[in-house]
Amino acid sequence: MEQQAAGAYPYVIEMLHITKEFPGIKANDDITLQLKRGEIHALLGENGAGKSTLMSVLFGLYQPEKGEIKKDGKVVEIRDPNDATALNIGMVHQHFKLIEVFTVLDNIILGAEDTKLGFLQKKEARKKVKALSEKYGLRIDMDAKVEDITVGMQQRVEILKMLYRDNEILIFDEPTAVLTPQEIEELMQIMRNLKAEGKSILFISHKLNEIMEVSDRVTVLRKGKYIGTVETKDTNKEELSRMMVGRPVQLVVEKDEAHPKESVLEIKGLSVASKLHKNDAVKNVSLTVHAGEIVCIAGIDGNGQTEFVHALTGLEKASAGSITLCGKDITKASIRKRSLTGMSHIPEDRHKHGMVLDFTLEQNMVLQRYFEPEFQDHGFIKFGAIREYTDGLIEKFDIRSGQGPVTKARSMSGGNQQKAIVARELDRNMPLVVAVQPTRGLDVGAIEYIHSQLVKQRDEGKAVLLVSLELEEVMNLSDRILVMYEGEIVGELDPKTTTTSELGLYMAGAKRQDKEGKAE
Amino acid sequence: MKLRKFLNKDGTKSVLSTLISILIGLLVGAILILIVGLVDSKLGLKEAWKGIRLIFLGLFSKGQQAGRLVFGFNSTNIGDMLFRAVPIIMTGLSVSLAYKTGLFNIGASGQYLAGTTATLFIALKMNTAVVAPWIVWILAFFGGILAGALWGAIPGILKAFLNINEVLACIMTNWLAANIVTWMFEGSGLQCTEGTKTQVIWKTSHNGVATAKMGLDKLFPGSQQIDGGIIVAILIAILVYILLTKTTLGFELKACGSNRHAARYAGIRDKRSIVLSMALAGALAGAGAALYWLSGTTEFHWQTYLSLPSEGFTGIAVALLGSCNPIGNIFTGMFMSTLNVAGSKLSFFTEYNEYITDVIIAVIVYLSAFSLLIKMWLTKRFKKSEDRRIPDVVYTSNNRPGDEPAPAHENKGKEGSDK
Repeated sequence: MEQQAAGAYPYVIEMLHITKEFPGIKANDDITLQLKRGEIHALLGENGAGKSTLMSVLFGLYQPEKGEIKKDGKVVEIRDPNDATALNIGMVHQHFKLIEVFTVLDNIILGAEDTKLGFLQKKEARKKVKALSEKYGLRIDMDAKVEDITVGMQQRVEILKMLYRDNEILIFDEPTAVLTPQEIEELMQIMRNLKAEGKSILFISHKLNEIMEVSDRVTVLRKGKYIGTVETKDTNKEELSRMMVGRPVQLVVEKDEAHPKESVLEIKGLSVASKLHKNDAVKNVSLTVHAGEIVCIAGIDGNGQTEFVHALTGLEKASAGSITLCGKDITKASIRKRSLTGMSHIPEDRHKHGMVLDFTLEQNMVLQRYFEPEFQDHGFIKFGAIREYTDGLIEKFDIRSGQGPVTKARSMSGGNQQKAIVARELDRNMPLVVAVQPTRGLDVGAIEYIHSQLVKQRDEGKAVLLVSLELEEVMNLSDRILVMYEGEIVGELDPKTTTTSELGLYMAGAKRQDKEGKAE
Repeated sequence: MKLRKFLNKDGTKSVLSTLISILIGLLVGAILILIVGLVDSKLGLKEAWKGIRLIFLGLFSKGQQAGRLVFGFNSTNIGDMLFRAVPIIMTGLSVSLAYKTGLFNIGASGQYLAGTTATLFIALKMNTAVVAPWIVWILAFFGGILAGALWGAIPGILKAFLNINEVLACIMTNWLAANIVTWMFEGSGLQCTEGTKTQVIWKTSHNGVATAKMGLDKLFPGSQQIDGGIIVAILIAILVYILLTKTTLGFELKACGSNRHAARYAGIRDKRSIVLSMALAGALAGAGAALYWLSGTTEFHWQTYLSLPSEGFTGIAVALLGSCNPIGNIFTGMFMSTLNVAGSKLSFFTEYNEYITDVIIAVIVYLSAFSLLIKMWLTKRFKKSEDRRIPDVVYTSNNRPGDEPAPAHENKGKEGSDK
């Protein structure tokens, strides 16, 4: 009876007029989200728009000040994650919650184990997992340890965890942030399979391409407010991005022809030893970056890009080769020397390298400059000058935070942290800008902004070395593409004449050029 | 409104949480005294009441008259309290400085011993007939600082270059120091031969070296021990505060302590910073030892190989209780030595032994670790009434605090409906 009644009701989960406040900010302000049975519903919004807060409310991690949650039309109270689990709500977090040294199967059954007299009964579980994985096309190796499998497979394990618990409502929190293009394609297919089997999916993302491809409806949030819900088939990327950002957004970078001038950075025969295996992580890499051009190093994650950048910026030692910056040999120079010689570095990992999270914004803004006469006098910090400088950067680069210059960096949203780092690095006005995945995990508004800043740097005659994993970014932004595969530069491509699939072949190691630049 | 603003300040909350920790600690101590008093047939309720009053007011005890405790201003007690506060303020500063720069210095005891040794050797071995005593004092003082710094640098070097946990390295250097110091004094010929005392080293005043009183003996008449050491300690605390909050060096050390990778990325020499932090921490502990022994009023028991000086560990309590704030350490150090004075009064005027104050100190140390929790609880309490008052404003370039609140965002659904 009850089952039938529930089946007739179109919405499986409804979050009505949810308001959640934090000191100083309304994270959710009267937000309504209705998830239909058997649909893929995308939740779109910039960083800090309130998506995570809303999901935390759904999971019982936060209690809203106002509003109610309905399951199958009945008001339910979700006080903690156990309540959410009992309502068959499951979630794949952006950062997986797996135990690395356990096997895939053990991870899936963890917390829902069958036992007999206190002993684990894995046989039934194994059968069930196998059936599920075949039904939904979730390829896994049940006996491999999680630490040994790829990120893509880890994600499939997370999905199986939800399915194993018979969850009906599946939440994917930024699921594609960590995946390669091929894995993203596969995930989209999996989501379609899940939908075909009657599961309801909430898909949190700010990647418009994926939302357009896979979702049925889209709910857009902005700055904690509900902007609207639209049918995907009735909308387009431009409209969605306008709803999300609140103004028209340039989705393709606008830039003129590059006018490369003198060479700024010259690298010859650079090799870097690997920490993981005996082979070099970077093998005999030579390249030149000129003033007024954006050179992009493309490649799949883990092909030596990180080690290459570390050797270039001084975080790691090179085992062979030479680096010349602005005519000076910096192969053995200290990090500070390199930075002062003329290098800005937007680091790959903004939490590990980019910021001291327990410092305030203003302290972070002078992380490389506190010793300059502008900011210190006989070893004493000039607090006034730092405040003024930070205020200037906040204004110029539109960095948003709760308390301005004295905001703890930790409490800022990811996008604004990245904006702050970009502001700091670009404002130093150095001839070479090394930008490593500068838009990782950011929303369209912030991406547009950072891209335009990098192009501006180029036009001002800076040399920009961009390292990126995003094909779109590589194709859009660069003037020259160097593809790195297994620590080597395997090809130089012109973004104007090459195609994404061509680039993909080089990235996958299926194709390479010889010394003269001819394809082999 | 002003009061609320004041209460919401981070510093206010730290101080409040410290005071609450202390109060709970004292109450627990009082309960303990009561229980012991009721259980022990020697004591009883009357004795317990005496004990409780002494725990709270020991500093102001003026002795007994006809079996009744008399309280009032007692300059001897206060002078002694200030003197005993000197070494633990300094070890507290040592722990605080390390903590603020991301390190846990549990090696203050060893650094204190290193400082003790250098100070006593210089102060007692130099011929004061040739070199003026005040020069010897200065040499001994800086000798103690240097020895502490070198001893502190060892765990720093191990941490920076070999990634060995500083806590482990500190524990080992503590006991190394304890044994080396015993060995060095054993063959030093500095043992006191006066009177019936054994196993102690001469006071530095034996060689005519002693810290100037700086008029404090006039201010606190009756105290044999008070000298200018407390003034030096307070000055050093202020210097440490300035170093940590106002200088580029402090910025570097804190950045490195907070995120070593980011500091390195920014071009700060992380290894140097770690070694320097530990060396500075060691120097402070060494300075504490120097100030204590150079007073010339106490003798050093040189057989330290069986137990470490308690100053190092009391320093941890002083630091934690003061939220690792150098200025706060001055007060928490004084509070700890107040308890010390109260303890000696307790054993003097009642049948209790003074170790009960150690129990109270232990409770307070535990609570000082909880003071963070208490602080969070306070934050929550203050927030409750605050929440409704804070306008919904995000700080951007166009809207600064003090400006008008930002206009409300567009109506919901507007964007969705205008397609």
